[in-house]
This record gives sequence, structure tokens and C-alpha cells, in this order.
Amino acid sequence: MFIAIFGLFGSNSLNVSIGIPADQQNGPVYQALSGIKAVNIVSGSEDELDDKLTQGRLAGVLLSDKGVANPRLFISQANAQQAAAASSIVSGVVDKLNLRVANIQNPPIKLDIEEVSGRTFRFIDFFLPGMIGFALLSTAITSTAFGLIFLKKTLVLKRIFATPTKGLTILFGQGTARLVVVLAQTLVIVLVGILAYKFSLVHGALTLAEMLVLSVIGLISFLGFGLFIAGIAADENTAAPIANLVTLPQFLVAGTFFPIDALPSWVQPVVKLLPLSFFNTAMRKITVEGHFLDQMVWELVGLAVWAVIAYIVSSRTFRWE
Amino acid sequence: MENGKVVIKVENLAKTYEDTVAVDNISFEVGEGEIFGLLGPNGAGKTTTLEIIETLRQPSSGKIEVDGLDIVHHSWEIKSRIGVQLQEAGFYPDLTLVELLKMFGGLYQVRVNPIAVLRRFSLEEKKKSFWQKLSGGQKQRFSIATTLIHDPKIIFLDEPTTGLDPQARVNLWDEIRKMHKEGRTIVLTTHYMQEAEELCDRVAVMDQGKIIKIGTPHDLIEELLASGFKRDQEVKKATLEDVFLHLTGRHLREESPS
Repeated sequence: MFIAIFGLFGSNSLNVSIGIPADQQNGPVYQALSGIKAVNIVSGSEDELDDKLTQGRLAGVLLSDKGVANPRLFISQANAQQAAAASSIVSGVVDKLNLRVANIQNPPIKLDIEEVSGRTFRFIDFFLPGMIGFALLSTAITSTAFGLIFLKKTLVLKRIFATPTKGLTILFGQGTARLVVVLAQTLVIVLVGILAYKFSLVHGALTLAEMLVLSVIGLISFLGFGLFIAGIAADENTAAPIANLVTLPQFLVAGTFFPIDALPSWVQPVVKLLPLSFFNTAMRKITVEGHFLDQMVWELVGLAVWAVIAYIVSSRTFRWE
Repeated sequence: MENGKVVIKVENLAKTYEDTVAVDNISFEVGEGEIFGLLGPNGAGKTTTLEIIETLRQPSSGKIEVDGLDIVHHSWEIKSRIGVQLQEAGFYPDLTLVELLKMFGGLYQVRVNPIAVLRRFSLEEKKKSFWQKLSGGQKQRFSIATTLIHDPKIIFLDEPTTGLDPQARVNLWDEIRKMHKEGRTIVLTTHYMQEAEELCDRVAVMDQGKIIKIGTPHDLIEELLASGFKRDQEVKKATLEDVFLHLTGRHLREESPS
């Protein structure tokens, strides 16, 4: 469900909307702008466009009321990024036109833009790995914690603890039960990504296989946290806030839905040490950069360290009642 | 018990929870092949004592040996030597009785014949039922059935007949006597004195965490009579329970789930 909603975002996030009143949509500047794919021309009366600009819904408003030779671009701090994009696009167009009018064929500084062959990075490429991390953390922590707490409350766990069953056996059982779910949800997410949003696997089946292997590694690592919550919480009511405390911040900051780079630089080093950050980074290395598991040793070590911490703490704190 | 081997030895056991004392420095021994009863009102500390011996809880102090093994240091070994019926226990709600018995076979690392186990406890026709759907008596019988899966020599039963109708109780007494005849040592808790008198070789009376008396039911009664105790009314040769069982029969009822 999430993937369907978030997948819709990607398409127009890079567009710059520039408002030009309908009666002023002429002249070379207008023509050059309308020929740029990333520019979205919005018509309307001057007043309407002004309103939209101050609300941050337009990147800029271009008026040629003083003649097409003296266009005026209005920008607003309501949306600073868009404003900067609008002014650089419009001034680029104007510069180019000036050169043409001045008949300069060979400007002293000439920028060559060459496109390096590569995959176009789209929103789905960022989003899909995050989605896998989101689903994995939910399953591993929330399902495990609530599943075990149910067994605890119904005293099933107590009866099992009266048998010579090692904690490891129960852990293994929980892991196996979640394994099927985790593999299935990774496959479904990839499938929806491919069918609905043209997500592509860099190395085909090999990439998919690596994604599944990484999902299993992530599961083993995150299961310890689920176990920890199940161990210290007495019932669902105490488990819910603890589970949220562990999962929600990670969904928000660990590069799940928003890139870590978008965070203030001083928190980035801390955030990068979160278990889900290691997982998301590793997953993106596979899906976006086409790396293989042996090229992400740092992330795998990070996951392993978290797993060891979680298992040690949960084995110390686990209570069957 | 004088000439038998001691299989359970409890020395100065105490268990305190923060500010309350659940078990207050008790000692007793259980001999091989005995049925030993822990008697007492609710909250006397019977269940806590049992769960400590079953290695489910840690004692605050004291030394306990089961089959010659210290319960603190050999809990895993002890768990595989004892059969445990808990006063309150649950079983996976989405497994049938047969599946549950197979699972317990796996947990105890033994092969089980689920049908044979269910037959012994008159539960064969319930093999495809879920535990939750059983009646109180059936639940208790199934719970006791799980104690025998690995054929242990020592069995713990925590209030096995609480809440059962007279037929179901009499039926469980028969099962307990049968387990006893097979040479097993049985430790049970109850607050039904008639049950203790019927089943137990020796009893310990607990109150407020302390054992106040240990002995055979016969000796304890004689001791009380010797002290000059006399019932207000001469006891009749039969009780109302005998009348009830005489009228309704001793056979188990097709109990509907409660």
C-alpha cells in the first residue's frame, strides 16, 4: 500500500513551475522556456499568479509587461529552492538569447554538458529499498514482540519454559516463522515496483537474490530487538510504545523514506549508526549502485554488532511472565 | 519413606518478592514412589514452592535437590527428568491436541504416539479439537497427559482437580493412582482435604509461607484426636459426595466446553 502511495511522488518533484500571464505568453524568452522539459508554465491573471507565488506554489512569475526585451522575474522566499531553480533557468535562457542576439558564435567560456551513460535515478529507486527496510523492521520487531507477548499472556510460554527447551530453540522458531513472511514481502515489494513503477534490477535475478539474502541478514539482526521488547514488556500496552520508540525514529531518519543526506550534517554520523541505516544503505548499494554483498562489509559488520548487542541484552532481560 | 531413597530435598527454602515473603524458610523431603501433598489455603506459598522446584523460578535462598541434582546449577537436566502440570498454563490456540503432543515430544526430544496418550486420558475423540474448546476436566486431563510424554519419574501437579465436577475429580484421582502405581513420585498441591486424604502418603500443611506440620494423613488425624479434639457431630458413614456419585454414577460426563 505504502509503495503505491509513495511511488506517485517521483514523477513531478523536479519540475519548476513558472507563472506567466496568458496575455504575455509570447516572445523569445517564453518560447525558449516552454521548450524546456523541466519547466511547467502556469497561466492565469497577474494577481492569481502573485498569490500562488507568495504561497510557494510557484517557483517564479515572469512578466514581460515592460516589453519582451525586458522581462521581469519575481521570486519568493516561500520556496527558496524552487526560487533558485527558477532564477537560474530563466537567467540561463536570457544569457543564451543575448549571445545569439549579439551574434557571438564562439563565447570565451563554453560549458560542455555530456551525459554519462547510466541508469536514470528515479524516486522509486530511492524509495523501494527503503520500503523493504520498513517492512522488514515492522515484521521483525512488531510481529515478533506481539507474537511472543501473546504466548506469554496465554501462559503458553510458561509451559514451554517448564520443558528442557533452550531459548535458542524458541528464537530459531521465531526466526523461521518470520523468514517466510520477510522473503514474501521483499518479493511482493520488488514485483509491485517492477510492474507498476518500472523498477529495474541492475543485474537481474542476481540482484534479486542478493536483496533476499540481505533481507534475511536484516531479519536475523532485527529479531533480537523484537525479542528484547517481548522480554521486558508485560503486555501489549507496554509493548506498543516501546516498539514505536524503536521503530518510528528509524523509519523517519534512517534513510527509509527520506535520504539521510537531507538531515542536518551534525546528526548524520549518529543516524548512520542506526541498525536500519546500515540495512537501507546496504540495500541501496545493491539496488542502485549494483554492488555485491562483499562490497558492503561496513554495513554488514554494523548489522552484526547490533544483532550481538540485541541478543545479549534480550537474553539477560527476558522474562516468561 | 523411611527406607526409600530421597528424590526431592528442600532445605531452608525462602522466596521473597520485594517486600513480601512468599515462602518462609521451609524444609522437607520427598521419598521415591511417594505421593506427597502440599496443603494450604490460597496464597500459602504452595505454587511458588512448586515452581521453584520445577526450576521456573529462582529461590531467594536455600538449597534444593531433585534426583540428586541442584536445581540452580542443573535446571536443564532437571526439566527433562520431571513432568510438570502448571496450575495455570496455556497451549497454542491454533494447534490440535495431536499436534500439541507432537510439539511437546519435540520439546522433550522424545517420540510420542499422540493417540495412545490421548486414549489413556479418555481424550481420543478430541484428537482434532483445540485446547481452548475443551471442558475444564478435559483441559486438566490433557495438561496432565503432557506431563507423561517423556516418561518422567517425578511428576508435579499443581491443583489438578480445582474447579472440576465430582466425576471428573474421581476420574483424575484414578489417573493419579495409576501414575503412582507405575512407580512415579508425585508431588501435588490441593486445598481439598478429602483429596489429600484419599491420595497422599504424606502431606505438608503450609500457611503464610511456612510449613506448620508434616506427616501422614492418618498420623495427623490421630495426633489431633489424641489432643482431645472432638467433632461437634458424629460423622456418618457416608458423605453427600458419596450420595451424589451414587445417584449420578462415577462415569465421566461428555462435558460441554465451559
